[in-house]
Amino acid sequence: MKSLLLLWSLAPLAWQLYTSLVTPEALVQGGGVEAGAFWTLENYRQVWLADPPIWRYLLNSAVVGAATTALTLTLAVPCAYGLQRQGGRLGWLVTLALLATAIFPTVLLFLALLQLARALGLANNLLALSLPYAALCLPLAVLLLRAAFADLPPDLEDAARLEGLNLPRRLRHVLLPLLAPSLASTAILVFLFSWNEYPIALTWISRPELLTLPPAIARIAGSSLFTVPYGAFAAATVLGSLPLLLLVLIFQRSIVSGLTQGAIKG
Amino acid sequence: MIESMPVEPSPGAGLRIEGLSRRLGQRTLLAELNLEVGPGECLALLGPSGCGKTTTLRLLAGLDAASAGRILLDGSDITQQSAGERRVAMVFQSYALYPHLSVADNLALGLRIRGMPAKEREGRIAAVLELLQLTELRLRRPAQLSGGQRQRVALARALLRQPRLVLLDEPMSNLDAQLREELRPELRRLLCGGEQPVVYVTHDQQEAMGMADRIAVLRDGALQQVGSARELYARPANRFVAAFLGRPAINLLPATGPRQLGLRPEHLQPVAQGGLAARLLRREWWGNQQLLWLESAQGDLRMLVAADQELPPALQLGWRPEHELWFDSHSGERLPGP
Repeated sequence: MKSLLLLWSLAPLAWQLYTSLVTPEALVQGGGVEAGAFWTLENYRQVWLADPPIWRYLLNSAVVGAATTALTLTLAVPCAYGLQRQGGRLGWLVTLALLATAIFPTVLLFLALLQLARALGLANNLLALSLPYAALCLPLAVLLLRAAFADLPPDLEDAARLEGLNLPRRLRHVLLPLLAPSLASTAILVFLFSWNEYPIALTWISRPELLTLPPAIARIAGSSLFTVPYGAFAAATVLGSLPLLLLVLIFQRSIVSGLTQGAIKG
Repeated sequence: MIESMPVEPSPGAGLRIEGLSRRLGQRTLLAELNLEVGPGECLALLGPSGCGKTTTLRLLAGLDAASAGRILLDGSDITQQSAGERRVAMVFQSYALYPHLSVADNLALGLRIRGMPAKEREGRIAAVLELLQLTELRLRRPAQLSGGQRQRVALARALLRQPRLVLLDEPMSNLDAQLREELRPELRRLLCGGEQPVVYVTHDQQEAMGMADRIAVLRDGALQQVGSARELYARPANRFVAAFLGRPAINLLPATGPRQLGLRPEHLQPVAQGGLAARLLRREWWGNQQLLWLESAQGDLRMLVAADQELPPALQLGWRPEHELWFDSHSGERLPGP
């Protein structure tokens, strides 16, 4: 059963990896190509030396992702704390409203967002792109962190209050260190969203050197009228997935513990 | 630093609680509490759960706000001060140790925040660790400690601050019975008899009687009686205090008119004739004593006698008139004489 699931989720990735490593002839004809003309790194060379090169898009995406994550957590932590600790009935309404926005389909927003970007002069600015991203990520981040705050024993904060720690210090020395797994898992979810986001990036960014990965990769696919450059497309996708894979591998333990935290109680 | 020194009690020294109340919406958690705890005195707040004892403690700590009343500590009004300003230490039922910090860092955090120089801080921490025999555990995390060790760390953190008032919220309820008994004198030695008043919350009457100089019994947010364990036992203010203190519980005979008689199980004794006729239902043999369950015209009774005393299945019960406790059958207040 497990291996079936693995096959289900990994097969497309494996196929992508395979596509990125073979020549176009091999891809089309399958086994009927002589050994020397089968495997190749030409696709990678192509995207690496393109203008702008693929690392430029990786860098752009990393910048937007980092800015989005930082902005989201900075806003979500105090919001989640406030809602959890002194929300009362109003807090419940706010939480419900957040939930409602969290399930609102993003695609319906991007035209309005585009008009906003034009009106405020935010188009073609990587850091500005993190504004709508953070806004879209905030509901989920707040809900996750709120559950995490609820799981902390209240005595801990009381003890810290008695020792004279004010709220910022309680957060820094007691609460946030204990929330580290939840913070890490929330950060990764936000980063993932930002890394994969397509419609807003497509409409807000038009200068090629500022593109993030998803629209950049889409441009590779549409770069020629006559052929579909499967190989280059796959190579760009593989390179684009590697950073995420690394991130998840490094933080996998905290992701799992952070995601299951709210599920047990609260 | 923690060793007790004889101090002349200055006027107004200690803790004074005046008309302290806390209401939440329609509910009254604590109503008009008046209490005084002298320097070095240990007062136990005793009562069933929901009686307001933890509420009182949280008000004293400054963790919750009072709806009315004043708290005076060494003569100054601290009612409006925040928890951090009060220099009040509290030992929590859960111990509330910071799980991500070592024992030494748990102790250091509060001192570091207040900007104490590193050298003085280290010295103080070392002294407290020594006093509580925690020196070898200083680098462990709370998760690596036993319940008793955690409790000692929590005590160390409380003592470290040289508090003006020490509060303990059921500090032993997470320990097993034997350890609790061993720790009682230890806790008294460490906490009581110094300069600071100690308020000790518990629902365990034995703990209250063993730890405290005086006991305040609370019920539904209202103070029932305050006094030494002996006073409370011998002259309970009302039926509730009489029934709450003492195990096995007092026998409350059916009310006769406006009055009701209460008799402690150890005050019943078999008499040759002319007593209350009773029949033995069953016995619990406790080693040092035995508890007899009896059936009589006045309802079921509990009698506590010496372990080796042999009794017939049918007997006559008597008691000394000075052991009679009479209560108003309506209000439950204790009445002066028979």
